[in-house]
Order: sequence, then structure tokens, then C-alpha cells
Amino acid sequence: MRRKQYLSLFMLVLGVALLVAATTVGAATSATQKASKSGIKKGGTLKLNENAEDFDFVDPQLAYRTDDWSMLYTTAMQLVSFPEKTGAAGSQLYPQAATSFPTVSKDGKTYTFHIRPGLRFSDGSPVTAAAFQRSWERILSPKMGSPLGVNLDLQDTIVGGTAFLAGKAAHISGIKAKGLTLSFRLTKPNATFVSILSMQWFTAVKPNTPYDDKGINVYPAAGPYYIKARNPGHSTVLARNPFYKGNRPANPDQIVFTPNVDIDQSLLQVKAGQSDLDIGGVPATAAADLAKTYGVNKGRFFVGATSCVNYMAMNNARPPFNNVNLRKAVNWAIDRPAQVRLLGAFAGKRTDQMLVPGIPGYRAFTAYAIKGADVAKAKQVGGSAIASAPTLNVIHTPTATSTNRAQIAEFNLKQVGFKINDVPTPATNYYQVIQTRGTSYNFVTNGGWCADYFDPFDYLNVLFDGSKLQAANNNNYAYFNNASFNAQLAHAASLSGAARAKAYQKLDQELMVKYAPVVPYLISTNRYFTASRVKNWIYSSYFGSPYFNALAVG
Amino acid sequence: MTQFLIRRIFWAIFLFLVATIITYLIFWVIPADPAALAAGKSATPADVARVRHYLHLDEPIWRQYLRFLWNLVGHQQLGNSFVTRQSVNHIIGQDAPVTASLVFGGAIFWLSLSIPVGILSALRPRSILDRVSMSFVLVGISAHPVWIGLILSYLVGYRLHITPIVGYCNFFPGGIGVQCSGPVQWAYHLLLPWITFMILFAALYVRLVRANVMETMSEDYVRTARAKGASESRVMIQHVLRNSLLPVVTILGMDLGLALGGAIFTESIFNLPGLGHEVINAYNTADLPTITGIVVFATVCVIVFNFIVDVTYGFLDPRIRPS
Repeated sequence: MRRKQYLSLFMLVLGVALLVAATTVGAATSATQKASKSGIKKGGTLKLNENAEDFDFVDPQLAYRTDDWSMLYTTAMQLVSFPEKTGAAGSQLYPQAATSFPTVSKDGKTYTFHIRPGLRFSDGSPVTAAAFQRSWERILSPKMGSPLGVNLDLQDTIVGGTAFLAGKAAHISGIKAKGLTLSFRLTKPNATFVSILSMQWFTAVKPNTPYDDKGINVYPAAGPYYIKARNPGHSTVLARNPFYKGNRPANPDQIVFTPNVDIDQSLLQVKAGQSDLDIGGVPATAAADLAKTYGVNKGRFFVGATSCVNYMAMNNARPPFNNVNLRKAVNWAIDRPAQVRLLGAFAGKRTDQMLVPGIPGYRAFTAYAIKGADVAKAKQVGGSAIASAPTLNVIHTPTATSTNRAQIAEFNLKQVGFKINDVPTPATNYYQVIQTRGTSYNFVTNGGWCADYFDPFDYLNVLFDGSKLQAANNNNYAYFNNASFNAQLAHAASLSGAARAKAYQKLDQELMVKYAPVVPYLISTNRYFTASRVKNWIYSSYFGSPYFNALAVG
Repeated sequence: MTQFLIRRIFWAIFLFLVATIITYLIFWVIPADPAALAAGKSATPADVARVRHYLHLDEPIWRQYLRFLWNLVGHQQLGNSFVTRQSVNHIIGQDAPVTASLVFGGAIFWLSLSIPVGILSALRPRSILDRVSMSFVLVGISAHPVWIGLILSYLVGYRLHITPIVGYCNFFPGGIGVQCSGPVQWAYHLLLPWITFMILFAALYVRLVRANVMETMSEDYVRTARAKGASESRVMIQHVLRNSLLPVVTILGMDLGLALGGAIFTESIFNLPGLGHEVINAYNTADLPTITGIVVFATVCVIVFNFIVDVTYGFLDPRIRPS
């Protein structure tokens, strides 16, 4: 009987203890973890590795790299932007800070936006039209020393841009900000203008944000997060913007980026749960095993398309590739599947065109042998010009992957009869060599381009408009310059809507079928592996990464 | 002694000048066009020309070097990174403590291991301990730090969960964007890097200490001390160790400088944000001012360590001073 009493007493104490513990833990948990209506838990710290080097800049007007932009997206409030949606839906612009898409004047030169009322920066101050005016001024200010905006001729896009860049005006006269109304006066109609505004450069910054050519690291932001702390080369910490009231996800309490982690070690960390994700992806050699163990896009190992096209460039400005038949012969000769295999499992999709899925005007076509080299066809197309061609200077960087890529390409070129001079070039010189007009190279094996904004102009005009060739720093390092094609590019750029898409679709095909200045071979994918606790994977093909603000670790 | 010190100081200054001239020539003159690198991949020729003028690269090389030297000596400025535009002084200030933690911690580890093992091996040559320690020497010298680091982090960090796989924590609590800090976390995160870093040097030092002790034990003055009836411990401590460890001091001074180079591998494997890691990133991004700054800093460290060793040795061994 007495034993029973003791047992009852013990059970009572245990029950009370469990009740107290459950209440306490529940209270503690609810402070940091809240389940949303969709079942996604908020809270926790999302720990992200970067196996590549650190962000070069987190100042929105100096940042340009893909990883910079994918991070800044979580802090950004833009006039127009992309929603946190997977697939094609994620590449459709929507008015974010603006109440709607802009009204455009009849002459097509004045764009007027109305900013949503009630938007706030992370310090509580309101977001007004002046915040967007300041972002333009910071990208074009001579005090910022940024060549980025200049490269896209932004100063020529806006009335008063050139004078402002030259330091002759305090403000850009073509941008008027009054309260919540913002207007842009363009120098000429520009169908890409709204797309251009989706770039991270044009995020809202406080109107008193200083001009600083070294860039700012910690500043108030109006998106779901702001940069709370940054120690370049060591870590970057994002915290939730307490004043953000929009409907974009903001699941983790904070997001911590740790740069420079060795890619293999980083994978071990994610497997062990010491890190949640490496934003630089997984080692190429690990992709197949991860897919076998975890499946693809089934919870932990993810493969997503990017906006990046990889290509090899021929120097169209000098022999032998000033001969279009030889350029076509090379397109038949290159073994595209071998180049893709080199990058490991799930590296991407073979291609022989420059536009990528998701870009208006993209329509898949096949002009050359994308299932493997067709040596016979290459010899037939190249004809006797192959034997008389001078030795090709094939230039590449000396990394293992680049060297292997060059070796495969050189093997293919030799198969059809070209003579090869292999020119490994240090990364310090590489771009200077290939981007300088009059360069002695014939064939570049390291080439690639990712979208600055979702528009075919950013691929075809930027890379192949020969009228823009200059003495140095050319993006068109095929040195392709065809007056007829240049004129067609300029015409396509002046169009809008369906006519524009159709024009670029035709140009994409004509570029490769008629001129073949380059050898596109891969639309690349990115491969990621997450810790088991990571949920709510939403992938952006624009950034080539998940939306970090949407990931849940609570 | 004063003359000895003055001579050493002048020698250090001379070495510094030679090292900076070579560094400057290698990193600024040989690789193509620093102005184009600084202006960025997308700059127009006008931008490049503007940057060239801004960086004084349109001046004769000798004047560029003198300007570099004046900024270095007169203003203690190493310039700004081409990539991040941060001050190189700031970058080095951030990274040097991490590398110092690795190098000095590693040095304590390798001395703590190599001195007793080396002495015991010398006292009992061809014993089991001696053979085991010589096997360790062989493995330590042969195995690359990257391989050792990867194996350790996989076994100890990933499989056994004893230490973190990679990462670094500041010694002093607090700091910008710091996720962990404090002496305990600092040491806990550095345990594997220290062991990795230690192995090569410990292997070399075991052999060095063993050889020195064996050589010293056969000296006449040791035999004399024994003949005079000195105890074995007194002979060892007063006569053998004191003399046989003197060269270790010299080598240690030089190795601490050289270890900055070895730190590159260990820092890369364990994600320690130190100078070695920084210089690799700078190389990958063609960030010449950062590379130059770190090389100059490392050079100064080597010169300072050597100077300290020279002076210390001069004090310890009067025979050195006249030479």
C-alpha cells in the first residue's frame, strides 16, 4: 500500500515536472519559432557557407557579382522585382515598391512610378521616391568610382546622366522625386528600362546615404532583412527588418554568411549539420553520389537552372576565324557532351544558342551537333580552308577544369585538322588579353554570360553588337562585327512586347546559323545540398540560388 | 654590443629595401596592366586611363617605387584592394591575429612535442621510442598538410564529432559579426589546425633536437663534467640541453617567419580567415595591392624575427657578436 503511495507521489511529481517543462519549452520556442499559415516555421539562424571568396561589395551601388546580388535581394526594396517563386513565375517582374507598373508618356520617354505608402527602412524612416533617386545618383556619381552603370551606358539613358557623371550637376536632371512620386525622363524610348530597374543597383537607399568609393557595409534597408554586421572576409550577418510589413517571406531570424570555406569541407559541414547550405554549391565530383543518396529536388539535394550560357569564342577579327565556314566547322567539331560531363553530374543542358530559357525570345533550336562532335561534317563544312589555316592560339586559364576543357576542345580541333598552340594564361592577365582589341588569340575556351536582367538585349546586344567595340575591355571578345547584324540588333532593341521577343528569337537563331561567331555549349545549372533541417526551398533561376529569406530552419 | 646591434639594424633595413624592390617589381611590373585590373572587367579605355593616372602608373617605374616606399614608410599605407577597395592595412590588421594564433599556437605544440621526444630518442638511440619517433618524422615530413588536415577534419570533426570540422572564433569576446568568441572556443576551433600545422615542423624538430643532443653528449666538456662527478641530471640540464637547444632558438626564429607561408594550406583547409587565406583569394582575383601588402608584411615579420634571433643569440653566445 505504502509502495503504491510512493509510486503515485512519484508519478504526480513527474507529471507536474513534465507539465512545467513542456510549458517552459513551449514558451521559449514560441518566442523564436512561429508556424506560419503555410506550416513553415519562422525563427532560428540560417548558416550559409560561401566556398567562393567573400562578397566583393555589399554596397548595392558597387555590388555586381551574382552572389552579391542574391544576398542583396533579401535586403532590397525595388520599384520592380522578381517574386519568390520557382520556375517561369519567378522570372516575371512585379511592382514591388511601386503601386503598379509605371505610366509611360506618349513619346515613350517619361516613366512615372508611384511608391507604396507605409514602406519603411530598418531604422524606421519612411521610403519615399527620393530613396530611388539616390540609388541612381550613387551608381552614376563620379565620387563612387563605379564603372558598372557606365558600362551599360546608363548615363546616356537618363536625361542629365552624362552631366551628372561628369560632375557638372548636383543631381540627375531627368529624375524627379516628389513625395511618393518618381519620374524618369529618358533620352530616347527604351523598351528595357523597366527590366533594367530590376537590377540590385536600383534598390531603395536612404536619401542621405553617403557617396563612398570604398562602399558601405552596414546600412538601413527596406527589404525583409538588413545587414546587421559585416566583417569582410570573415562574416556577414543579416537580421530581420522589424519595420518590413510586406508579404515577402522572412523566415530565419538571422542569416549568417561565412566565406572562403573549402568546398569539400563545406560539404562535410552541411552533412554534419554545422552549416545549412553552401551558396557556392557542391563539389562537381559529389553531385552523383548526393543524387543517388538523396534524390534530385526531393528535399536535400537540389539542381536548378541558371541564366548562364557557357561558350567558347573564336576571334572573328583575324584569320582563320574571319572565315565563317571555319567558324561553323568548329561548331560541328566541338564535343559538347564531353564538355558538359567534365563539370560532373547535373552540370547543365547542352546548347548551341546564346539565349537561355526564361529570356523573352528564347526558343530552342538545334543548328549543330549537340549530341557529340561530328568530325565528318566539320571537315566538309570547313573544306580546304582548314588545312591552310594558321596555327590556332588556344587560350585558357590554368585551373584544372579550364585546362581539361581546353584539352578536349583542342583534341576536337585537331581531329578536323587544325594545328594548335596551347596558351595557358594566368587569371591576372586572362581577361586583359582576350578583351583587348587586336589580341593575338584565336580561340577562347573560358567564356560565359549570366543575365544582368531578364532581357535578350543583355545577351545579344551586349555581347555581339560590333559597333560598340572599343580598344580594351570588350565583352564581345569574339570581336564579331557585322553591320547588318548590328542594325538588326539596334532595331530589335527599339521594339517592345511580342514584336521584340520575335525579333530577338530570329536574331538568336541567325547569329548561330548564319554567322556562328562563338561555340555555345552549356546552359549551366547550380547544384546545392542542404542540412536536414532546411525547409521551404524556392529557387531563383535569375540568381541561380534559393531565395535565402524564404528558407526555413525554425 | 652596440656596434653589433647597429650592424644588425642596417642589415635589416637593407634586406627590407631589397625585399620591397623585388616584391614591387614582381607584382606591379610583370603582370600586364594593373590599371585595367583596378578599373574592372567592364571599364572603358577612358576609365582605364583615368585609373592609371589616379594610381600614378603613368609615371616612370623608379618614381612609382619611391612613391610606394614613401607611402609605406612615411604614411604606413599599403594602398587599397582593387577588389573590395578596403585599406590593405585594415585587411592585414584583421587577418594577422588569426595567422598569429595559428603560427604561435602551432609553435608551442611542435616544441612541446619535439623537444622531449627528441631528447628521449637521443638518450635511447635505436630503442622502440626512437624508432617510433623516427617513423613519425618520416610520415610528418612526407605527408602534405592539406592531406593531414582533410583526414583530421574528416575523422575527428565529421566522424567522431570531437572538434568542429572547420571555422574560427576570436580570442577576445565581441567584435563585428562575430558568431563565437572567447579563449575556450578559440582554442577548441584551433585544435585541429594546430595539430595539422604542428606535424611537419614537429617532425623536423624531433630530428634536429635528437641530432644536437647526441652530438653534444659526445663533447669533451660533457665527458669532463661526468668525470668531475656531476650528477646525470646536472650534466643533461646544465651542459647538454643548454648547448644543444641553442641552435633550435635560431631555427625557430627563421621558421616562425617561414611558417607564414605554410599557414596558407592550413588556413585554407580549416577556413581560418588569416593572411594565407587572404593571399590566395587575392591571387584568384588579381588583387595586386593586397598580395603586395601581405608579402611586404610577411617580409617584415621574417626580418624582425631574424633580427630578434640574431640579437638574442648574440646575448646568449658572446662568440657570435664579433662575427
